[in-house]
Amino acid sequence: MNPFDVLTNEIDELVDSFSSTAFVGDLNMGVTQYSFWMFVAVVVLLVLIFAFVKKQQASLVPQGRFVNGMEFLIEFTRDNICKSILGPTWKKHFPFLATLFLFVLTNNIIGIIPGMRPGTGCIGTTAAIACVSFVYFIVMGIRKHGAWGYVKSLAPKGVMFPINLLVWLIEVFSTILRLITLAVRLFCNMFAGHVVMATFSLLATLFIAPLMQGVSAVAIGQAGASVMWVAILIIIYLVEILVAAIQAYVFAMLSSVYVQIAESDEG
Amino acid sequence: MGVIGYGLGVIGAGIGIGLAAYGYTTATARQPEVQGQLFTGFILGSAFVEALALIGFVVALVVK
Repeated sequence: MNPFDVLTNEIDELVDSFSSTAFVGDLNMGVTQYSFWMFVAVVVLLVLIFAFVKKQQASLVPQGRFVNGMEFLIEFTRDNICKSILGPTWKKHFPFLATLFLFVLTNNIIGIIPGMRPGTGCIGTTAAIACVSFVYFIVMGIRKHGAWGYVKSLAPKGVMFPINLLVWLIEVFSTILRLITLAVRLFCNMFAGHVVMATFSLLATLFIAPLMQGVSAVAIGQAGASVMWVAILIIIYLVEILVAAIQAYVFAMLSSVYVQIAESDEG
Repeated sequence: MGVIGYGLGVIGAGIGIGLAAYGYTTATARQPEVQGQLFTGFILGSAFVEALALIGFVVALVVK
């Protein structure tokens, strides 16, 4: 029997198992597997942060791997996400952007561990974070320019009248698109990565199955293929760890860029 | 059909990542000392392009 014949059905089942199912309450108001792991991620993040603050205050010089590691993370957020993009006003936006970055990062990393699911692997969570970021940069733009000023600042200055309107429309459209792309990018990366990993582990199990039923030349050959699938799975797993970190960075950095665009003087 | 659609979508992403890698290697060959900064940009660009390919993947899987 060819294991690839079984695979199609198995993948359909797999993708179904990725859709949200509520185990407390229902889908409208309840806890799905994704929101459960999101709460776990939030708790882990809070414990880490409070432990970090307490340990850091214990001595003037940072000591130990934990404190230094956390300081590296915070400094990375400060330098690469805030200072380099926002310029002098970075201090005002640092708490928000660091929260976004650390929240998404913990969720992604928690999801990488086998048996757990990423809170960001569900479109609801990512859409919620994207909405927060969207509202934040619009509010910041309105604070800087005033409501009417912000609406006007969407279109570049110094363009003739009829083209001006067209450019403004396109800019409004692209601003709304930011909301969708922020949410969909993160969701698709998490979802697709996990589906690919699950597919390769399925392949590994399907190919080892004939060896369990009886030893034959074909079965041993398929078991060899199974080892190859596991090797590919490990490589993809490593890439997924990288993707988890990069996507958190991209999300926070894009939010920062949007805030910078909203606050910039030239429209 | 979904598989063919995904294959079509991946063409663009493949060209995109290829261009990013091309620019990265060329720039590194010219100025090896800025390799670190270039690598960040390269990874970021690849992440953006890859996201498009993944959107195609998810749509092909979810929409039957």
